[in-house]
Amino acid sequence: MNGYYRPGSVREAVAFLAGNPEAVVIAGGTDLVIDRRLGRADPQAPLVDVTGIDELRGVRWDGDELHLGATATVREIESDPAVIVRASALAEAARVLGSVQIRNMATLGGNLCTASPAAELAPPLMVHDAVAAIQGPNGERRQAVADFATGPRTTILGTGEILTNVRLRAPALSGSCYLRQTVRWAMDLAGVGVAAWVLTDRTGREAAVQEARVALGAVAPTAVLVPGLESLLAGAPPTTERLGAVSAAASAACEPISDTRGTAEHRRHVAGVLAARALSIAHARAAGLWPGGLAPVNGRAPAAASSGARA
Amino acid sequence: MRSDYAVVGKRIPKLDAPDKVTGRTTYADDLKMSGLLAGAIKRSPYPHARILSVDASAAEAVPGVYAVVHAGNVTQRPFGYGHDNIPLKDRVVRCVGDEVAAVAAVDAATAQSALDLISVEYELLPAVDDPFEALQPGAPRIHDELDIEGNVSMEWNFQTGDLAEAERRSAVIVSGSYSSPQAAPAPIETHVVIAGFDADGHLEVISPVHMVFMYRKELADCLGLDWRRVTVRQPPVGGSFGGKIDIDAHDFIAVMLARAAGRPVKLAMSREEEFTGTRTRQPIHFRLRTGAAADGTLQFRHAEVVSDNGAYNAWGSHALLVAMNTVTSMYRVGTSRLAAKVVYTNKNYGGSVRGFGNPQATFAVEQQMEELADALGMDPMDLRLKNANRPGDVTPQGLEITSCGLSECLETVRRKSGWDQRRGRMRSQHRGLGAAAYVHVGGGARIYGSDGCGAMIKIDDSGRVALISGSSELGQGSETALAMIVAETLGVPLEAVSVSHDDTDVKPWDVGVHASRTTFVAGNAARMAAAKARDELLEAAAEVLDRPARSLTIRDGVISVPGEPTATLRYEKAVRRRLLREGSSIIMTSAFYDPPTQRQDENHIGNISASYGFGAHVAEVEVDPDTGMVRVLGLWAAHDVGRAINPMSCEGQIEGGAVMGVGLALSEELPVEDGRFPAPNLHDYGMPTAMDAPPIDVTLIETADELGPFGAKGIGEGGIILPPAAIANAVADAVGVRPRSYPIRPWRLRRWIETGERSHVDKHPHPVPDENAR
Repeated sequence: MNGYYRPGSVREAVAFLAGNPEAVVIAGGTDLVIDRRLGRADPQAPLVDVTGIDELRGVRWDGDELHLGATATVREIESDPAVIVRASALAEAARVLGSVQIRNMATLGGNLCTASPAAELAPPLMVHDAVAAIQGPNGERRQAVADFATGPRTTILGTGEILTNVRLRAPALSGSCYLRQTVRWAMDLAGVGVAAWVLTDRTGREAAVQEARVALGAVAPTAVLVPGLESLLAGAPPTTERLGAVSAAASAACEPISDTRGTAEHRRHVAGVLAARALSIAHARAAGLWPGGLAPVNGRAPAAASSGARA
Repeated sequence: MRSDYAVVGKRIPKLDAPDKVTGRTTYADDLKMSGLLAGAIKRSPYPHARILSVDASAAEAVPGVYAVVHAGNVTQRPFGYGHDNIPLKDRVVRCVGDEVAAVAAVDAATAQSALDLISVEYELLPAVDDPFEALQPGAPRIHDELDIEGNVSMEWNFQTGDLAEAERRSAVIVSGSYSSPQAAPAPIETHVVIAGFDADGHLEVISPVHMVFMYRKELADCLGLDWRRVTVRQPPVGGSFGGKIDIDAHDFIAVMLARAAGRPVKLAMSREEEFTGTRTRQPIHFRLRTGAAADGTLQFRHAEVVSDNGAYNAWGSHALLVAMNTVTSMYRVGTSRLAAKVVYTNKNYGGSVRGFGNPQATFAVEQQMEELADALGMDPMDLRLKNANRPGDVTPQGLEITSCGLSECLETVRRKSGWDQRRGRMRSQHRGLGAAAYVHVGGGARIYGSDGCGAMIKIDDSGRVALISGSSELGQGSETALAMIVAETLGVPLEAVSVSHDDTDVKPWDVGVHASRTTFVAGNAARMAAAKARDELLEAAAEVLDRPARSLTIRDGVISVPGEPTATLRYEKAVRRRLLREGSSIIMTSAFYDPPTQRQDENHIGNISASYGFGAHVAEVEVDPDTGMVRVLGLWAAHDVGRAINPMSCEGQIEGGAVMGVGLALSEELPVEDGRFPAPNLHDYGMPTAMDAPPIDVTLIETADELGPFGAKGIGEGGIILPPAAIANAVADAVGVRPRSYPIRPWRLRRWIETGERSHVDKHPHPVPDENAR
């Protein structure tokens, strides 16, 4: 069956999907159109275009809770001034996804539902402990984003279910950061992507870590949270020694492959390097030590302008 | 140098740019024509296999299919250098992507579905994708029909001087191995060809190829056509970078399909086919040694080279000849030796990509200059300047260096980059500077009986000046440069000049666009034809003004008599005075320019080009040693262009080439797994984006070449040659390890940093005689 359906409400979309299990949801189409052309997705499957559903749209704050609609574009997310300050990892991941043209089309829901192992937005949402809302024929259920992808290109969504929104909290004294290693500096998939989030007990250099999370992208079948960080970090500032332990834990949490974006050995090593850098920046943000703005994509201090001629 | 030109030397936006950037340009794939069919090619999925049978009956039965061709139902002859290739493979496939059958149908979807119904039975043969393995005894024989040993397609050898003696004279010898990857020209427009016969059997082929006359001959030879009855039309080209020089199997196949279908057929390559089924840049592996005396005077260079040719010989098999020029003629090296093998492998084969062997060779030669300088305790710029080529030099291969701004280029980038204050002093920040310089043909390249190009000029009754050039515009800006040369020579406004170059029935003969030759060779032809037209214009005006033609001048379209302000005539009036009368005539002139050069002999000696281009770059990089990521912070580029006809266009060529060179250095690569490219797409290939392009500071050095049009030399390839070498040298300065291969992808650099890849230096490799020991 071929076809295109543009429902006006989540209820209509769910009803259609329940009755047409072969149908696929389309929003920005930046993954699906390519997958259909390459034969990775059935090019004949009917499309359910969810961009006409008002309740799926938008980026909004309710106190310290961030509400991201499933069809919020990546560009909307990276452009939100409060996201840049309070959920920096999400802005830092959004701003390196594809090109501006792609980010104007690509959506949060699409990025999570395609479930690429290198999905840019999964690690930052996971460290922010984000929760996905899923609407299906039997009503709504909620699931941690960390449990949303079940493998490369597979998710927990059942027949008739759609992702409607993602919510996370960004409390005071928290900070986050997303870094990645790529072959070129833009328009590239992550060889390694690392998000870190830290909650501290106060501001300033002595701020001790209360809670911390690190998530890794592109180094395992799905984005993964690094286990066991609390015992390594809680109760003290992230010293060089403690960051070294974070690096080792991050490297140990990888199950990478070798491909055109890096060898397995390199990915494991760089996951550790970037985990320490991201955690350090997240701590600086939580503790009020960060000068503002987004971090360089690999977390290394930006080079001063060359002292030679630079027109 | 003269600087009172009216047009030459002005910054003129490319004449074809407004249409291109606003989407008005009609490329080959945009053409509509009555009855046009869509073609599609069935390609080998295996790197090496025997074809046992091809069954096309099911495909032929598909409604909407007009023709199905395969080796069993067409007449074809071998093509390629040495005739080692055939359009539709008849016996053996030798690389993934080899053409086995093709379909023409009413639309692309029908053609594709018919293609899937063609059944090809293969017997797999052992394949080899590494040239060093291919050289081993017992390696699979890739061309068992050829009388060759060890899969060696060709060998190129050169030697001059006494190597043993030169080694004895050397206080320091550095040696090392340097490798480059398989890369792709990757133009935005993929290859497209449209072929159709008229009712009389005259063939018209529309193709963005840019050696159209050779293309026509090769088409006719392979397909048994009368080449007088073949017309090649070249629509605007959406980029080539050399990839569209070679004739490919699909060009012949389009004609076969058109003949079988009785209708015109279009074959348009997908992006995947562009990577797997059209030509690439061949990987070249160098083992190089360079020796110098204690004062830095170069004593010798010795290269052993293996070129990974791929499955067949395209023009790329000759890239080693350019690499040879660099080994023997870059700097005053004297004694030099090169032994090169071009080795078949079961991979997509090498073509003629911008730079043509020179980026690969310069990567080896120029890293070794800095290694040598470090071993001697000299500044690398001082070492280069000490050995720089100079006007009047004749190199070991007989290259006659005339105009030469190499030293000025080196001094310019040295000064502008802050080299003396900064090189070797930024390692604590993991930042470094590296340099490189090149020699490349700049006045044509006689690789064929003629290196000539024709030009015709006509001036009509409106005053419109039409240049019909043998050459082609590929985006390199030649159309604008040629129009400027004509406007300057004739003394008319640039807006009055048009350039046509798209039809073999109309335009005069030319070898084609390659070897950075167009501004020089086609420019000289245009200048000569314009000078003749100017003489005719002034003679026509002489009748009207009643003054001798030799006393007249023309500028901005006004013919005047110096010292007589009232005696003037617009040039178009002079044209009309000749035309609108009994016994009328119009102004129409022609010229053919063949540079005064030699084909190199069997010993590779001969002055192949009428002038040589030089340039120097300094790159500044910052390395993240823990992730291996490299950022190019700046690039200073100085190029001896002879004379910049259009400085804006020259800078564009240099900047565009440099960004391609940054891609080669850091990211572009077609890795091969089991004979396949696992990632034949622009996402994985690693072409640099604007975010990867460093600030580029370009200086044009003008040396006014004696033979170039208004002193100009070729600059089409200069920009791409140096970044791999300069960036590798900068990385070595930043972190103390030397990249021996490119692209310098993060995981490789990190591994080199961990293992400490350093120079191999022999100090005092031989007992030094006493008199030299002081």
